[in-house]
Amino acid sequence: MHMLKRPEAEVRALANALVAAKQQVGQCSQCFHLSAEPVCDICRSQARDPNTICVVAESRDVIALEKTREYKGKYHVLGGLISPMDGIGPEQLNVGQLIHRVNKEGTSEVILAISPSIEGDTTTLYVGQLLKPFTRVTRIAFGLPMGGDLEYADEVTLARALEGRRELDS
Amino acid sequence: MFLQHLHLQNFRNYSSQSVAFSAPKTILVGDNAQGKSNLLEAVEMLATLKSHRTSRDRDLVKEGANIGQIKAQLQRELGVSELSLTLKNAGRRTAVINGETLKRQQDFLGHLNAVQFSSLDIDLVRGGPGGRRIWIDTLLTQLEPVYAYILQQYNQVLKQRNAFIKQHTANADDLDDRIDTTLLTSQQQQITHHNQSDQIQLSQMPTQMAIWDAQLATTGTRVTRRRSRVLNRLIPLAQRWHQSISGDAEALTIAYQPNVALIADDPAIIQQSFLEKIQSRAIAEYHQRTSLVGPHRDDIDFVINQTPARQYGSQGQQRTLVLSLKLAELELIEAVIGEPPLLLLDDVLAELDLKRQNQLLETIQDRFQTIITTTHLGSFDAQWLKASQILTVDQGRLVASS
Repeated sequence: MHMLKRPEAEVRALANALVAAKQQVGQCSQCFHLSAEPVCDICRSQARDPNTICVVAESRDVIALEKTREYKGKYHVLGGLISPMDGIGPEQLNVGQLIHRVNKEGTSEVILAISPSIEGDTTTLYVGQLLKPFTRVTRIAFGLPMGGDLEYADEVTLARALEGRRELDS
Repeated sequence: MFLQHLHLQNFRNYSSQSVAFSAPKTILVGDNAQGKSNLLEAVEMLATLKSHRTSRDRDLVKEGANIGQIKAQLQRELGVSELSLTLKNAGRRTAVINGETLKRQQDFLGHLNAVQFSSLDIDLVRGGPGGRRIWIDTLLTQLEPVYAYILQQYNQVLKQRNAFIKQHTANADDLDDRIDTTLLTSQQQQITHHNQSDQIQLSQMPTQMAIWDAQLATTGTRVTRRRSRVLNRLIPLAQRWHQSISGDAEALTIAYQPNVALIADDPAIIQQSFLEKIQSRAIAEYHQRTSLVGPHRDDIDFVINQTPARQYGSQGQQRTLVLSLKLAELELIEAVIGEPPLLLLDDVLAELDLKRQNQLLETIQDRFQTIITTTHLGSFDAQWLKASQILTVDQGRLVASS
């Protein structure tokens, strides 16, 4: 209804943009993030640290991490999580390509940034085991949300936070 | 706690029905299939987010409607709260407390607590282990709401692991015997024979299996430990009630039979023995194509005077046992949360003999708000009826009886 009230030119522009996006946006051949070019902006950027790769499940996770402006390395999008119920194993994900990339580029650290669900944990452990012989592997910490009160955190979150505890910076 | 008000909108056979509870005891009287149990089911949903009669929300929504709703006003020591649960034919439930929509439905648990006692509960003694697991899980969910999450995680791992076993045993059937052996030794990650492309495929498979094993052991250990902990508290209470109802004539023993034994109090040690048991059952799992180790195979044994209640207990003994379990549940919930929970008696009072009826009624007195369904009022004590609120249920409508 909203669209019907807009000027025709605006509606046409939006329609063209949608069609163009569908036609042009594909995957980056290196990191599998969404990209209109064969190699995405992040992979081509000279400003980004090529020695660090952050592994995520989906492209939307790259977008979320980019919003923080905290991460200066590169990415690798797996394209999903291991889930036998849905017939998804490592072969259906961009896992082989990741191993190949780490070997070829001599990556010094791989950060696994995958949600802590059952499938996410399995994927993290699996990819971690494969990469361990080649490079340093870390996973992002999970725990209390900012502004969260210890008292109100559920015990599963608290247990995770305890597991991922670290030395106090002096 | 006291349920002051309940409103059902397109729930089961109710179109729009409000109930104001005005006495500690409410008796719902009516013929069969009029909606008495449906009303108790609504309260059960508020307490556990589950119904013992169905696992599909669309069964709970009135036929012809898309959305059903249960709303309640609950008085607790700390104040009055409004609970609302919206159920959809298709789509996710919405749980609201005091006007705030909950992000995690698990947070709905623990506000209203109830013990349900129906004539079907005799299956706790007579039926299979699945019913006993649901019983203890339901109790745990009310005492420790986070258990709902723990159990859900375990069930998810179990489903994924079963799917994984099915896929990989199905694939293996087409291959030769040598590969079968590699599937069985799931912890071994090195495969030296086979050509190169095969090697990548197969060496990855056992690694994933080992991860599912570890996930099953981690989540399963949490389930087992919590079940054991709640039973340790419940058993002495049930034994005391049983002794009192049977007049010291019978001795009740309740034993938790976890599939993976709790050999120590340390989760790490239990996980280790969990993994060892998975290894020892690997051949059987391979042939049966499903997970055979874990708390989804737990049981609880009831023994009266050294005789298993399931096989030898008389009908009367079995009823005494179930009543003792229910009274113990009431007592335990009250002790843990600090307020008496609701008691829902579904068609069960008429089945108890006078002695057991009196035992139950004496315990309840006016402390536990009780909602009772029955087809006729004949079997109730007259004085007791006088103190109760009596509502007639007729084709999805409630009418106050005079």
